[in-house]
Amino acid sequence: MATDDLSRRTFLARIGVLGASITVLPHCGEPDTGITTAQLSLGALVDLLRPVLAELSRDTWNGFVAFNVPGRDAYSRAQGTPRHERGGIEAGGTDALIANLDRFLPFPDELVRPAAAALVTALRDLPLPLAGGLLGDLLGLSIVTIRLVEDAVRFILENDNTTPLSLPVALLLNYVATVVSPASLNGAFVSPFARLSFADKARAMEMIETSLPQLVAVVDAQIPQPLKASVSGLLQLLGGALHELAAFGSLGESRQFDPRTRGLTGRPVGWQLTGYLPDNQTGDGWDDLIGYYQDRREVSDA
Amino acid sequence: MRDVIVIGAGGGGPVVAKELAQRGLSVLLLEAGPRHANPRAEWTHFENDANNPLTGFLRFGPADRGKPAWFRELPQNSFLFQVSGVGGTTQHYFANCPRAYPGAFAGYDKPDRNAYDTAHLFPFRYEELVPYFEWVEATLPVQTAAMGKKERTFFDGCETLGIPVQTTKTTLSDSFRPQENAILQPGGAAGRTRDLTQLRFPLATGCTFCGYCLQGCMEPIQAPRNLVAKRSTDNSYIPMALTADAWSPSGTSITLIADAFATQLLTETRNGELVATGVTWRIGATGERHTETAQVIVLAAGTTETPRLWLNSGLPNPNDWVGRGYTDHFFDFVVGLFDKDTDSSKGPASAARCDFPGRGGLENIGLGPALQAFTMQLTSSGSRGFYTNGRGMTGPWDGPAGRPIGPELKDALMNGVNRLLNILVITDDDVEAQNRVLLSALPGDEHGPVPKVIFRAGNRTARTQANREFLVRKATALLRGAGARKVFRLDWAPLILHVQSTMRMGLAPEDSVLDADAEARWVKRLFIADNSALANALGGPNPTLTTQALATRTAEKIFQRYFGGDPWVGRESPVVSTDNAVTQAVIARGL
Repeated sequence: MATDDLSRRTFLARIGVLGASITVLPHCGEPDTGITTAQLSLGALVDLLRPVLAELSRDTWNGFVAFNVPGRDAYSRAQGTPRHERGGIEAGGTDALIANLDRFLPFPDELVRPAAAALVTALRDLPLPLAGGLLGDLLGLSIVTIRLVEDAVRFILENDNTTPLSLPVALLLNYVATVVSPASLNGAFVSPFARLSFADKARAMEMIETSLPQLVAVVDAQIPQPLKASVSGLLQLLGGALHELAAFGSLGESRQFDPRTRGLTGRPVGWQLTGYLPDNQTGDGWDDLIGYYQDRREVSDA
Repeated sequence: MRDVIVIGAGGGGPVVAKELAQRGLSVLLLEAGPRHANPRAEWTHFENDANNPLTGFLRFGPADRGKPAWFRELPQNSFLFQVSGVGGTTQHYFANCPRAYPGAFAGYDKPDRNAYDTAHLFPFRYEELVPYFEWVEATLPVQTAAMGKKERTFFDGCETLGIPVQTTKTTLSDSFRPQENAILQPGGAAGRTRDLTQLRFPLATGCTFCGYCLQGCMEPIQAPRNLVAKRSTDNSYIPMALTADAWSPSGTSITLIADAFATQLLTETRNGELVATGVTWRIGATGERHTETAQVIVLAAGTTETPRLWLNSGLPNPNDWVGRGYTDHFFDFVVGLFDKDTDSSKGPASAARCDFPGRGGLENIGLGPALQAFTMQLTSSGSRGFYTNGRGMTGPWDGPAGRPIGPELKDALMNGVNRLLNILVITDDDVEAQNRVLLSALPGDEHGPVPKVIFRAGNRTARTQANREFLVRKATALLRGAGARKVFRLDWAPLILHVQSTMRMGLAPEDSVLDADAEARWVKRLFIADNSALANALGGPNPTLTTQALATRTAEKIFQRYFGGDPWVGRESPVVSTDNAVTQAVIARGL
C-alpha cells in the first residue's frame, strides 16, 4: 500500500471516523450496506457521515465527562473507575458540554474553520504510523472510499452553517488517544478516547493541555497569518476549559431546569452528590446568622 | 449636546453619573448589556441559569440570551470573568469593600514602604483619597459584616495565625476581620429563617443569608430596588442617578440607555489639542447606530473593554501603555475539607478576610456545587497525581497543587458542599507591561476588532510569585487551624476577575495613560472611571471601593475643570442610597 494511502487511512482511523463509519461504508466487510464505491458521491457520503460523526462526537464527550466526574455508567466502568452513585453523564454533563462548545462558545468561524481544516491536513501528515494489524477491517476499505471519506469530513468541518466545535475537538481527543494507546483503535464504544483507561485519558489530556509541541507546530504551519499563533492559544485555552465546563455542567442543574417555568423538574445529580439544598428549594434565605465577631458592628479610623 | 456621556454602567461609571447628576449636569449613561429592571421576573438562584459563562443571565454578552456571548481572544489557559448589564460585575460581586493599602500610594514612608509595587504608585498620597473613601462608604453604605457558620470557621483558623483583629477602616498591619462590605446587614427575620412568608420586605430587611451573591441580589422579596441587600450599582448608584431630581435640590436625573454598545469615541483638534467630543454606539436589538456629542466623555467600559474602545477609535498611544500593565491579583484557590458543617453555600458569599500589607490578602468564598466544581478544575498545574505541566508545587497542603480529577474530585465534592471552606488568595501583583489587552488579529464582531487578553502566568515578577506563595501558606495554615482534614491547592490558571490598571494613572508619563486627575494624557475632556484607571493592584485589596472613591474624585475634577463648579467631598454630607427620598422616587417611578 502506498505511503500516502496508508497515511490517510491511519489518520481517519485515529480520529475515530473509520471505526465509527464502518457500518455505512461499502466494501468494508459486514454488514453489506448495499452501496458500492461507484455509487458514492461526496454529497451522499456527507449525508451518510453526518450522523456518524455526531455519534462519534457524543461518544467521545461521554468518555471525557466520565473522566471528569465518573458514575455508574459504562464509560466509567470501562476506564476502570466504576461508582455506585450517579456521575456526570447521568447529570447531563455531556449535553451541557456539547451545547456550550457548539452553540455558544463564541470562537469565530474564521478561526474554527481553518483550524479544523488544518487539523485534518496536519494530523494526517504527522509521522505516527500504526502497525497494520491495528487497522484490522479498516484496511479493507478501498482507497477511493478513503479519499472520499476524508473529503467528506473536511467538507463537514469547513462548510456547516454553525461550526460544531465539539466535533473537531472530539476528533483531536481521539487522535491523541491513539497516540497514547494504539490499541484504542479497537474495542467497545465508537470513540478511541472513550476506550482509554483512566490513566491513559489523563495522559491524553496532558498532551492537549501542554499543547503537544509536535502537534502545535504542524497545525500552526497550516494556518495563515495573522491567525497563526491563535490556534496554539486556542488549544491551551481548551485544555483547561474542557475540564471546567464539564465539571460545571455535571454539577449544575441544566438537565432538570425548565426554562418555561424557571423551575426544576427533579433533583439535580450534583445537588444530590454534594448534599446541597436537601429540600430541593433554592429559597430566599437561611437561618445561618450567628451574630457579629466580638460583637463589633462598626469600625472607623477616628 | 449633553454635558457628560458616561460609557459603561458597571462599578465605576454609575458613580460619576450619580455624582454629576446630583450637581445638575445633563448625563447620558450607556450600557452595552441588558438592564435587569425586574430581577424577580428575569433571574433565578440557579447556578447554570445565572453563571454559565456562555449562556447565563450574568454572562458577558448581548441582552438577547439566544445569541452567543461576545468573543474575546485568550491565548492561554485562563478565564475572563466579565459581566455585561447595568451593574456590570457588581451584579455578581461579593460587595467586599476594603480600602486600598496606604503603601500603594505616593508619599508613603512607613518602614514597609519598599514592600509594594513602588515603580507604579498612585500619583498622590493615600490621605488624599480618604475623604472619598468615606463618601462612598456612607453612600453605599459600607458596614461591618455579620457572621455565619463559614465565617465562624474562618475566624477559628485566623485565631491560630498569631495576628490581631483589625478594627479600623484603614489596614495598618497583618490582621484579620469581618469584611467591611456593601451589604445591608440583616434585620427583622433576615438571617433567622427559611420561611418565605417571613423573608418579605419589610418583615425582613437587608441580607437574608440566601447564599446567592454570585447570582445577583434580589433580597428580601419585594424590597424596593434601592433597599435590596447587596449594594451593586444597579441597587445603589443607578437608582440614585435615575432619581437625582427627587432627592437633590439641584439634581437632574440621568438618561440611561441599555443594550447600547459604544463602538467609537469621537474627537477633534482644538487649539492644537485633541479633544473628545462624542460617542457612537450600536443598539443590540436593532443594529441601529447613534451618535451624540458632549462636553466631557467618561470611559468606564471595564478594564478589558476600555482599552479596546480606545484602540478601536484610533486614539493616540505614544508610549504604548494603552492596555498594558494589566493586574489581576494572580489569584490562587485553597480548599479545605472538614468533618463538620461549615455551611459554605449559605450567607453572604465572602464575609471574612485576612490582610497582609505588602503581600495581599485572603478571603473566604462560599459557592454552590457547580461553581465549586468549576473552581476545583481551574489550574495551571494539570491533574493531580498524573501530570503537573511543569508546576504541581508541593508544600503544607496535601499532595501536589493541581486539579483533583475523576474519583478524587467526586469524593471531595461528596464530602459535602457545606462541609468545606474555600479561601481565595488575593496576591499583590506587580504592574507588568507584558500582561495586557491588545486588539485580536481574529475577525472582529459587530463592535469592531475584539480584545485579546494576554497573561503570562508562569512569568510573573519574583515579588508577585513570592507574595502568592506566602499567602497560600497562610491560607493552608488557616484551614488547618480551623480543623480541615484535607487541603487542596489548586494553583489557579489566571481567573481574570479582579481587573485593574490597563489605562493606569501614574506619576511618570512614560508608563501611564492618565494624569493624576484621571484625564487622558493625550485626549482632553476624556476621563476614565473604571478599574482600568487604577495605578496598580492596590496592594491586594478588592478593587471596587477604591475605583468608586477614585470615580467620585474624578467627578469632582470634571465638575471643577470643565463646569466651573466647586468640590463637595469634605464640605457636604453624602446622601445614603437608602434615603427615604430615593426610596419613594424609586417606588413612584416603578424602578
